[in-house]
Amino acid sequence: MASIKVEQTGSIISTGPQIVLPGDLLPSAETGLLEDAPTAPVIKLGPGLQPMDDDSIAAVKAGVLKHTAVGNRWWVESNQRRYVAAAGESVIGVVVGKTVEHYKVDIGTAQPALLGVLAFEGATKRNKPDIKIGALIYCRVSLANKDMEAELECFNPSTGKADGYGELKSGFLIKVSLGLARRLLDPKTLILRLLGQHIPFETAIGMNGKVWIHSAEPKHTILICNAIKNSEYLNKDECAVMVKALFEKL
Amino acid sequence: MSRLDRTRTSAHQLRPFFSSQNLLNRSDGSAQFDFGGSSVLCSVVGPAEVKLRDEKLDKATIEVVARPLVGLPGVKDKALEQNIRESLEPLILSGLHPRTMLQIVIQTMKDDGCILSTAFNAVILALLDAGIPLKSILGSVTCMIDAQSSEILLDPTTEELSRARSTHVFVFDNKSSVQSEQGKMNVDTDDQEAGTSSLAAVLFSDSTGMFTEQEYFECAHFCFKASQAVHGFIRTAVQKKLEKEYQQTQA
Repeated sequence: MASIKVEQTGSIISTGPQIVLPGDLLPSAETGLLEDAPTAPVIKLGPGLQPMDDDSIAAVKAGVLKHTAVGNRWWVESNQRRYVAAAGESVIGVVVGKTVEHYKVDIGTAQPALLGVLAFEGATKRNKPDIKIGALIYCRVSLANKDMEAELECFNPSTGKADGYGELKSGFLIKVSLGLARRLLDPKTLILRLLGQHIPFETAIGMNGKVWIHSAEPKHTILICNAIKNSEYLNKDECAVMVKALFEKL
Repeated sequence: MSRLDRTRTSAHQLRPFFSSQNLLNRSDGSAQFDFGGSSVLCSVVGPAEVKLRDEKLDKATIEVVARPLVGLPGVKDKALEQNIRESLEPLILSGLHPRTMLQIVIQTMKDDGCILSTAFNAVILALLDAGIPLKSILGSVTCMIDAQSSEILLDPTTEELSRARSTHVFVFDNKSSVQSEQGKMNVDTDDQEAGTSSLAAVLFSDSTGMFTEQEYFECAHFCFKASQAVHGFIRTAVQKKLEKEYQQTQA
């Protein structure tokens, strides 16, 4: 019961989703973690997997076990609602405070994250952006450590350009589950394509489950918000029916 | 002997399980778990901001709040809170979220016996829903020894509990079969004598009333068997929820 069967054909497991619960062990034979093997391959563990006291590797979250042969990476894809900051992820936050050096931004984590006042495109000590408390910021997590507040930035450090990050003006913010936010970021995502066939709109999606929507009319914005929230537990056909019904009522 | 609970024919039969996850809108995780006529709703908030007074530098602060069916929380609820918190603390990998708070609220919805077991199972489902990192999952079952017949009844109702000589609550983790593979402890072979076997995986045990040592181990054995059914049910519940989430991404 505790050991899980994994078939490695190609790069990703082909036998449907492998569901793991906390305490399920990664099979040592498949991951190449056999004891005393001098040429044991390096294994990379992603979210949801932890080495245990007895050197075995166990899942710590309920979700779908994923694996890529390239780099022997293993992780558990799970859904939750509370965000835990991870470096490199794009997030949307609300400015909740301001000090001389930092803005305090609520990105949904336990503690507010810090955004340096100079972490913007072209910002200097003389020329700093003026962001009010309550403003929405689309930014990237530059540093995430479990013992410290996360740090954010609004520019690409290698080019110094904004790359689309910065303050989000007007529009509307909704909160969805982290799993739905990840799905919306997929360029092939169904619900955004369906909505795009009817009305033009702008959107910014944060990995922290916050989705910003901007369209020409408030009634369109409300419709888009409702459609996105409703789509989470629907299949493809039900999504199409739901979007059609919403637009008929408009 | 037939049971007082007419819906069941055997002493080792459990009441039907029911569960539902992600019920509450504003918590980070929530679940309801039912054993027949007993029902508990549990919500989890966290990892969230912690009051400076409760902050722990190397791990998350775990707070358990129990709400009774009617009235204000009393001694019984405080005991339930403490039992659940102390059993969960080693299970939750709280070192992964230092200086945060994990709040677990337990609300009894219907009481027909075995509330502690129902609450344990509801809490684990809510923690899974919230995505809190756990060492393993748990499953809890209550049993009682009848005062007249000295028979062991699993998952008793309130009516049956009024005739109990002793009641026993057990919580088992899902690592027991792993341990048996590693030869540390042999747990679920059928031909093994009752008792002695299953104690390796006990996370919590609470007994009240008069009983002999042998009776206690027999109860542990039957509850261990029954907890396997609870583990299986939790796995199915999680699987169903994930299937719903994945139906759009699959062709």
